[in-house]
Amino acid sequence: MFINIFLLSIVSALFAGGLCGAVGFHVQRFGVTTMSFGIAHAALAGAALGLLLGVDSTMSAMLLALIIALFMGIVLIRISYGRELISMAIFSASSAIALFAIYVSSAKVLATTSVAIILWGSLLAITFEKLVLLITLSILFSLYIVACRVHIDAILYDKKLAEAEGVNVQLHTLILLFFTGAVIAITLKLTGGFLVFTLLYNPVATALQIAKSARKQLVLSSILGSISAITGLIVSYIIDLPVGATIALTSTTILIITCITRISIEKIKWKINKLS
Amino acid sequence: MEVIKLENIYVAYSGSDKPAIMDINLSIELGELVLITGPNGAGKTTLIETCLGLLKPLRGRAFLLGINTKSPRIIRARRQCSYVPQNFMKPPYESYTVKHVIKLGLASFKLPFEPINKNEEERIKEVANLLGIKDLLNKPMGMLSGGQQQRVIIARALVRKPKVLFLDEPFSSLDHDARIHVAKIIKSYVEEYRASAIIISHDINPVMELVDRVIEMENGRIIRIRSRV
Repeated sequence: MFINIFLLSIVSALFAGGLCGAVGFHVQRFGVTTMSFGIAHAALAGAALGLLLGVDSTMSAMLLALIIALFMGIVLIRISYGRELISMAIFSASSAIALFAIYVSSAKVLATTSVAIILWGSLLAITFEKLVLLITLSILFSLYIVACRVHIDAILYDKKLAEAEGVNVQLHTLILLFFTGAVIAITLKLTGGFLVFTLLYNPVATALQIAKSARKQLVLSSILGSISAITGLIVSYIIDLPVGATIALTSTTILIITCITRISIEKIKWKINKLS
Repeated sequence: MEVIKLENIYVAYSGSDKPAIMDINLSIELGELVLITGPNGAGKTTLIETCLGLLKPLRGRAFLLGINTKSPRIIRARRQCSYVPQNFMKPPYESYTVKHVIKLGLASFKLPFEPINKNEEERIKEVANLLGIKDLLNKPMGMLSGGQQQRVIIARALVRKPKVLFLDEPFSSLDHDARIHVAKIIKSYVEEYRASAIIISHDINPVMELVDRVIEMENGRIIRIRSRV
């Protein structure tokens, strides 16, 4: 029984990490990192409200994350002045709503592990249905980036130029924010609400240190996301630590090691060039 | 046919009280080659970006190919235009190849899953040949000089066969001979395809003889319009 649950968590971590890495790459290149940060915390608020209202917290997390993604993709994207600050205000408000919902929840809810799961994550939180949802989302996102590769590439190369040429940048940004909201809502219980965005950002940050081409960065972000999630999951099980925090520290460690290695290689190359 | 019509336009950037351009009334016909000139901060780039609907006017109405730039249908009008921005330079780590960058100019015409066809491939080679960058097609953009990168962006603009060409300082990184060459390419494109071109340039020499009208701007206003006799 336990082996089944553990295997389920490992496969979920593989897909969650890979999908977060791929979505995170596009989030970074589309320049909507702060918005995704706001969406991540809206998902946390949604999950906490789900606990309070006694409904499925993944679905409530997804609902609120998608509402905020819709707001950001339609309204906030048109505001050029102070957009980042408004996103941060949404982040603060969402965190406050999450804490408020947990605070006013009944003693019965607080006594369960549900609260801990949405805050810190748990390998026990992943069910077969959630894994199916995660795989479906991964397939949909892969289809989207393959189908619209040329439009997405045009935006990644130069967003303003793409817009001037008639590429529907707003629509693609909205689609990306929707995927961000959905992937965060599903991954939330594995990594915990406060750390879910580390799987979006850290693998991309590491990939940017290693690869030069956008395509390699995308593939690498995805692979690094999966490696971070699986390693974090196994380490957290062995040492008995919170899953989310362990995944976050694993991906951060990979990033630090990559940065140090890259700087060292550049220094050695520079010295060799100087000598020759 | 009017390709651009601006009626009493005022545009201000977010967070700024002062309009970047004001009291602009302008009409550009199909087939016209227009030069916009003026000192830094005159509002030339703001004017072009307003025509494309990238900036929305505070007051007044702007039409591109008959479509109000505030309408969601402006995307359709933009598909018939090309833009060569002032800031086109990519850093050394930019790995998109020249061919890929020119191909991206065709992105807005493509449906999901639709690949670049043979005719378009031929057109890319043709335009690259015209601008003298055929040998650079497989090189990464980041490895090119400023002048080469500028030619690539002009090639990307031409591969789209636009009705309206917006060129913001298209000669800024080119040497004297290349400026004359590119100016002639733009002129012959306008004549061959009966398109319009709006060029912003500090250096009026390469195009002065070729344009139909010169619009002079200062402090966000059009101060003079001269037509070629």
